[in-house]
Amino acid sequence: MTRLFADYGMVLVLIGLCALFSVLTIKEHMPSGTEAAEALLEQVHAECSRTDVILVVGAENTDSALLAERLGRELREAGYANVRTVVGSPRDMRLALDDLQAQGRQLAAVATAGDVLKWRVLDRISETHPAFAGYKRMAPEPYYWPGFLTGSNLLAIVDRIVVIAVIAIGMTMVIITAGIDLSVGSLIALSAVIGTLVMKHLGGLEAPVWAVPVGFLAGTLACGAVGALGGVVVAQFKVPPFIATLGIMLMARGMAFLITGGFSIYQVPDALAWLGQGRSLGIPNTVLLLGVLYVAAHVFMSYTPLGRYIYAVGGNTQAARLSGVPVKAVIVFVYVVSALAAGLGGSIQASQLKTGTPNMGVMFELYVIAAVVVGGTSLAGGSGRILGTLIGAFIISVIQNGMNLLGMESYTQQVVLGGVILGAVLLDKVRGGKGIGAFLPARTGSSQERTQHEQG
Amino acid sequence: MSKAKVVSLAATGAIVFLLLLPSCSEQPSDSGGAETAAPEVKGKIGVTCMDLTNPFFKLISNVMAKEAAKVGYEIISLDGNNDPAKQNSQLSDFVAQGVDAIFLNPVDSKSAGEGVKKAHEAGIPVFTFDVQVTDPDARDLVVSHIGSDNFQGGRLAGESMMKATGDQGKIAIISYPEVTSCILRVDGFKDYLKEKNSKLDIVTELSGRGNRNDGYTVATDILQAHPDIVGIFAINDPSGLGAYAAVQKAGKADRITIVAFDASPAGKQAVFEKKLHDSPQQFPRKMAKGTVEAFVRHLEGEAVEKKIFIPCSHYYYDTAVDDESRVAEQW
Repeated sequence: MTRLFADYGMVLVLIGLCALFSVLTIKEHMPSGTEAAEALLEQVHAECSRTDVILVVGAENTDSALLAERLGRELREAGYANVRTVVGSPRDMRLALDDLQAQGRQLAAVATAGDVLKWRVLDRISETHPAFAGYKRMAPEPYYWPGFLTGSNLLAIVDRIVVIAVIAIGMTMVIITAGIDLSVGSLIALSAVIGTLVMKHLGGLEAPVWAVPVGFLAGTLACGAVGALGGVVVAQFKVPPFIATLGIMLMARGMAFLITGGFSIYQVPDALAWLGQGRSLGIPNTVLLLGVLYVAAHVFMSYTPLGRYIYAVGGNTQAARLSGVPVKAVIVFVYVVSALAAGLGGSIQASQLKTGTPNMGVMFELYVIAAVVVGGTSLAGGSGRILGTLIGAFIISVIQNGMNLLGMESYTQQVVLGGVILGAVLLDKVRGGKGIGAFLPARTGSSQERTQHEQG
Repeated sequence: MSKAKVVSLAATGAIVFLLLLPSCSEQPSDSGGAETAAPEVKGKIGVTCMDLTNPFFKLISNVMAKEAAKVGYEIISLDGNNDPAKQNSQLSDFVAQGVDAIFLNPVDSKSAGEGVKKAHEAGIPVFTFDVQVTDPDARDLVVSHIGSDNFQGGRLAGESMMKATGDQGKIAIISYPEVTSCILRVDGFKDYLKEKNSKLDIVTELSGRGNRNDGYTVATDILQAHPDIVGIFAINDPSGLGAYAAVQKAGKADRITIVAFDASPAGKQAVFEKKLHDSPQQFPRKMAKGTVEAFVRHLEGEAVEKKIFIPCSHYYYDTAVDDESRVAEQW
């Protein structure tokens, strides 16, 4: 257990953040399930007669719509003759009220839940339909639950980070070799633009389903080629990675604008949305993809010779070369992986937006690097863990999501996010790249052992 | 690592955390704006703009917050940072959070469609302002669009240009073809010239990317290629002012009429200083108010128009002289 926290101490930070945001986002929710329907049914039984006009209202596409349909059906079955079910917008409810008034009917009760209670149609009935002013409003009792801890929000957290997390796999490898790759943000745009252009030329909106993987492949491979170029420049000509990838960053962004003329490409088949928005076996594809890629990358880095070479090159290049590691090939390899990951990230981004836009992914390289460093990989090279990066990515995503949920102002958000990243880097500096476990007493010995193992 | 170092670091961490906590919990009430008039907070509205560092959108966001507070709604205003992906995840957050409505100013008219669909599927009404969503599937899901009548504003610019130049000579257009509203301004400009059988000759149309630097560069090049132009129409004030800088450098400020667009604070001042001849005015306050009103009408069950256009008006030297908003550097 101590070992676990020593390795992935950032897990604690992540859990802490989740707990913090859960507490801060507790708010009123309106039940809409079976019990709510039962409760409303009883209330109607108690307060209305079988001939009363009862309006059952639900907001379109929300849970209250399901509740309204169900309640309306049950009331009719129970013998209430004048039940009207309205599912839609405030406008639909207003029209229903107008209709009742035109027929000279009375209104005994409005049974509803959720958003409908906030509709001003209800508040203004006494003005707009004075005859109905005496109606009874029936709604289930609200309950309290954190807005942060809902299925849709947790999925939103994954969806917003999937692109960055995928690219961070490649970036972790690059940073472990003591390099850096600034081009990934631009490569997102390049890949998305090439991919969607291919789909556009293969038939646009009516393109066959296979056009989508072909487009993704074209975009990703193009990025891989660009990455190989960068890798060679760094490995063969000893150009500092910062400058080499800065050049590629500018070139790739420029190319994305050049080939699109600055416009978005939206003439794509519906199948494009599957990767970023669809589900397989009931699990969102983004979650599956992250799981598979991270397990594969973890196994690769921990258990294959090539993975260990990457650590060796970053730990001590000279020693690695002398002990027979093909240093140049390893360096080219990590930049290609990083670029391929960026290409895949671009494909996911295009899928999420169903568009290829040349201004996608601006500044993403910095978020990716931040995720890697927050995850415990040292910028000095030689040490770092793939799963730590995943946690780092989630920390950034949770902070961004939580701040949005709390409604923090955009300017403040930048300050906070910057502060958190700075704090993590400070931590990295102080602990000497040994994980947050540097602050736990029990782990000193095992960690040194591990570090040596990583470098050998 | 020394023990003292660890302790000091831990202390710093704790302080940062404590500082963060209150700022998190206080923030919502800050952004709520005028709290005195607000009855009770009924709900939240998510707002995301293409660029909150642009004072135009900052003003819209502030006015929205004030207007919404009057009817008991709190505004959560986020910056899209000119990044369609970032804006898309902001929309997802709004949906996850279950806001009562979304006011959207799309970074990209096409890719914003996915976010609009997501919001619609969750039963959240979406209103767009300033820039429309053009994705064919999502367009009809937007409850209402509130924006300036850019086409009509462009026609006003054409009118000013024809009058100021005596309808004679060569002119240039500094455009921004990535943005729908700017395309419409150019379309309106040309439409007016065509309708009036203008003798003005549009010799070139180049993108100034809506900013001062590119406006300057592009205008410099235009003056090289066409030294005899008599007028420039720039699709917004920054690019118009960039063009003025180039014209002035070439010593042709007296000969060349520049018509810009927006009547931004800087634009108003420039009109007053006679650097710009006209800058058809947009009304961000009306736009913000109109959006909140559309939402309230929606809640009241009134019929809401699919598109609400706010007409632009001329902003000449005569307008600028007595304009208090110019002196106060306001929109």
